[in-house]
Amino acid sequence: MSLAEEYTEASDDSRLERGLAYVQRNSRAYLLIAPAAVFLLAVVGYPIIETFRLSLYQSPADSNIETFVGLQHYVEIFNSDIFYRLLWQTGRWVVVGVAGKTLLGLLIAVHLKGDIRGRKFFRTAFLIPWGIPYAISAVVFRWIEHPQFGYLNAILLKLGVIEQGIGILGDPSLAWLGVVVADIWIGTPFMAIIFLAGLQSIPQELYEAAAIDGAEKWHQFRYITLPQLKSVVLIATLLSTIWTFVSFDIIWTMTGGGPISSTATLVIHIYQVGLQNGNLGRGAAYSVIGFLFLFVFAIIYLRIYTRGGDEL
Amino acid sequence: MTMAGHERSSLRKVRLYGVLIGLLGLMMLPFYAMFSSTLKPESEIFAAPATLVPSDPSIQAYLQVWTQTDVLLWVGNSFIISVGTVVLTLLLAIPAAYSCARNDFVGKRTFLLSVLVVQMFAPVVLIVGLFDVITQLGLFNTYLAVIVPAAAFTLPFNVWMLYGYFKTIPVALEESARIDGASQLQILTKIVLPLTKPALVASITYTFLYAWNRLLFVLTFLTDSAKYNIPRGVFSMVGALQTDWRMMLTVSVIGIIPLLILFAFLEEYIVAGMTAGAVKE
Repeated sequence: MSLAEEYTEASDDSRLERGLAYVQRNSRAYLLIAPAAVFLLAVVGYPIIETFRLSLYQSPADSNIETFVGLQHYVEIFNSDIFYRLLWQTGRWVVVGVAGKTLLGLLIAVHLKGDIRGRKFFRTAFLIPWGIPYAISAVVFRWIEHPQFGYLNAILLKLGVIEQGIGILGDPSLAWLGVVVADIWIGTPFMAIIFLAGLQSIPQELYEAAAIDGAEKWHQFRYITLPQLKSVVLIATLLSTIWTFVSFDIIWTMTGGGPISSTATLVIHIYQVGLQNGNLGRGAAYSVIGFLFLFVFAIIYLRIYTRGGDEL
Repeated sequence: MTMAGHERSSLRKVRLYGVLIGLLGLMMLPFYAMFSSTLKPESEIFAAPATLVPSDPSIQAYLQVWTQTDVLLWVGNSFIISVGTVVLTLLLAIPAAYSCARNDFVGKRTFLLSVLVVQMFAPVVLIVGLFDVITQLGLFNTYLAVIVPAAAFTLPFNVWMLYGYFKTIPVALEESARIDGASQLQILTKIVLPLTKPALVASITYTFLYAWNRLLFVLTFLTDSAKYNIPRGVFSMVGALQTDWRMMLTVSVIGIIPLLILFAFLEEYIVAGMTAGAVKE
């Protein structure tokens, strides 16, 4: 960073001049990142500012009239029961979803780690649920959980678990579980692949030494695998938390947030209020609240990612 | 501990494969439900409770689907959207990543970190603001209404993937080409990019999949049903008053076949891409 230091150490009066000269000297570098930077500013940066601005206005999607209302949207949101219900529903959706993906992913990764014939086949096969359209997975799960013709009911009836077909997705207390299962199915492959890569980077000698000392399999897992895997697990669960928090396609296709809003999360509500009902201002206010959550996740991610020196 | 060593290890092998196949079976169940249902005749698909094995399997649904649904149109649109997103993303990402890998300048760190943050900014929390931008730009109901936001959200991955890879290519190669009188653009296209193939393949696959799979942008910015992609098409079928499950599941199978082919050939690149942000070397 020698050039950068030279730039920042410039004295006040000549700073502008030096700055311009600096940019000129590095003009090619700046020109090459300019298209990407401008594009991101326009397509991501500007909507962020626009969302903040809109959140202070009463703005119906079907008219050009905007009325400034200040913080009214926020006050109403924080005073509404639905906001706290959304927080609870989002929380259970994220916690159960991420826990399911992490545990299943770990289970798959641990079994794929060893010297296995056809590992490439297994790895590819396990990957598929992650790589197909969420909307397709969603309709397939809707079909499986169908109250009359679904496979799940057929299996449960055959096993004698139930005596009558149940409609999971139509039941306000069960529907979220019916959706979370689909979400876990979609999100597990990512975790398995990441954990597998993490496991493969653990030095084999550690296990050999432990085996000589007579350590049991479970103890090896507990005292070698888990500690060595810590940072990978941390990053993977954080990314998974973010993706589960913002997952839209799967819920929207399976239930649209219903029945009686029981499967709605914060992001589903953003869409319902802002775009379905056309209340852009209120939707924007909910989006800003969503930003805050993502902001916290992002800070943690950057902390972990840039930890241990500057590799940029 | 009295068991002979090889017996114990072969027992362990059997258990290992048993668990693996069991887990794989569990993960494959939804595919079985999807595929087996498409082989049933109309009368059997609406049997309650469902038959777990088609009594008289037939490929009738795969012959009817082309005329009874718009599946070909949807697949075509998916291709247009995916290819468009790949092209736009690469045009933006390659110069940016190359510049960051080869130069040291004020603002580079800020640029790279903000790009990383963009990746975390999920489209759905931005959708209200994006709606405004897309309408103002007059892109509503054009393919670009989907391609532009999709490119923005795949750009971060592409920049980081290529940036990391460019750094591993020795500068000496480029310098000798420069001495031979090659232009900057020639150096990039003739020398650097061919060496970047693994990263490029990973980037292209990721971007293609992202654009192929997402429903949100099409749902919000394309109301013209002639521009629907596969996820939107499937969504429109399930939203209909009476869902034609047999046709819908057949469309779903057709919609994932191109992806299965992609996986079979490019699995290693996909995995490399997935682990890039999470597992540090």
